[in-house]
Amino acid sequence: MTRCGVVIVALLAAAACRRPLQPGDPLRGLSAAERARFDSGRGVFDSTFTPETGLGPLFNASACAECHEDPVSGANGDEVERHAAVFNPDSPGLKCDELVAQGGPVFQDSVTPALRAALGIHNEPLPPAATTVAARTTPDVFGFGLLDAVPDSAILAHADADDRNGDGISGRPGRFFDGRLGRFGRKALVPTLREFNDGAFQIEMGITNPSVPVEGTVGGDPLPAGTDPTPEPELGARGLELTDAFVRLLAPPAPLKQKGEARRGRDVFTQTGCPACHVPTLRTGDNPIGALRRKDVAAYTDLLLHDMGPDLADICFALATPSEFRTEPLMGLRLVTQFLHDGRAKTPEEAIELHGGEGSKSRDLFRALPAADRAALVAFLRSL
Amino acid sequence: MHRLPLLSLLFAPLTLAAQQAAAPHDSVRGAIRAVDVSARTVEVAAGVGLALTVLRLQVPAGVPITDREGAQPEPIGLAALKPGDVVRATFGARPTGFVAYTIERVGRMEPTP
Repeated sequence: MTRCGVVIVALLAAAACRRPLQPGDPLRGLSAAERARFDSGRGVFDSTFTPETGLGPLFNASACAECHEDPVSGANGDEVERHAAVFNPDSPGLKCDELVAQGGPVFQDSVTPALRAALGIHNEPLPPAATTVAARTTPDVFGFGLLDAVPDSAILAHADADDRNGDGISGRPGRFFDGRLGRFGRKALVPTLREFNDGAFQIEMGITNPSVPVEGTVGGDPLPAGTDPTPEPELGARGLELTDAFVRLLAPPAPLKQKGEARRGRDVFTQTGCPACHVPTLRTGDNPIGALRRKDVAAYTDLLLHDMGPDLADICFALATPSEFRTEPLMGLRLVTQFLHDGRAKTPEEAIELHGGEGSKSRDLFRALPAADRAALVAFLRSL
Repeated sequence: MHRLPLLSLLFAPLTLAAQQAAAPHDSVRGAIRAVDVSARTVEVAAGVGLALTVLRLQVPAGVPITDREGAQPEPIGLAALKPGDVVRATFGARPTGFVAYTIERVGRMEPTP
């Protein structure tokens, strides 16, 4: 064998033996500088804040990793938070009131000792106007940088708001209030990962920052004097950027090797029509980060809103009606312990059984399958 | 420790603009939530991620309001603004609240623009 041939064989062997990406790993192909930012960002993500370092006065958690924790930082968690809104279907223009004037849409479940002493509350009270309260589980954020890098055009290519192809699936895009296409959040509201991260510091931990420099209110009322002793912003631009780098560069966990039952389940997944919404692969576009540029991401989502029927309906959010939800990505599903937006399903089978609306047809096909095929489909999902 | 009442919360574009210094005003792009023609106010929904805000702007007579949805910008009245319109506004802070300098309607908040 020539020297060149030996080198090629060695490279192929090395690639074949490459360790599969594990939960919490960075994307492959990062530069040294990107890897350093990823590692530093993990430090911020794992940092526990206190009232002295900016926590609260209202908050859901004291660290990103307090919720995104299982089995590693960036993964899902068992925390469930409260969102509330009022849906006005007959209203012209915006039909959803996210109760921003009353402290919404996220109502924090914890307060600092200073706020408790001042107001005698243990969480942010829900306003009487809230007609619907939703539970929201903590999703993992693996592969979110790749989802952020998918061009709007690739998402819109799957949209079929009027179901012109007659398949019973009519995905439509969510929109933020400035008209940009939304893709993050269970209601596809938030256009970019950076905004999702920056907003989460304030909403989830009460950490003001250069993007969101003002604390939230208590049900719409200003915070009592002396309850927030830390000067704004409580986290600087560097902390925001590093946290964003960590989340952006987190790799999706590699699917398990699919053999036998799981491989057959992949075919069942297709036969039952699941890919109509859980689109197996999206492709990223151009991106300043090479590891995110023109990559296929096996996300199993179209990032569009779909009507999931009245039984799953809860709150509206911007354009999303109470029964509309963004197709949940399935990458990393094997690590998930509670399913659907509110965690009501404890197994993938339960989650499928609870699909309604546009998911009804696939659900019914699933129900009609022989037990072995149902098991194969679940084995496939458990391999992701 | 700066506190502002609701409906006057600030958000990223404002801050970024302020940080770039010497900007004579702030700006916002968001969706009209409410228009009160008699009080000459509009409320604009915006925010960063799930940290949402609603900004109330006073709109004195004479403030230019423009429709930029068509090929040519056209002047329109305050009453022409409707909930769900996506607008871009410049404004400044006054003791009585925020006052609009310009408002441009740039689209509608719809699934398909």
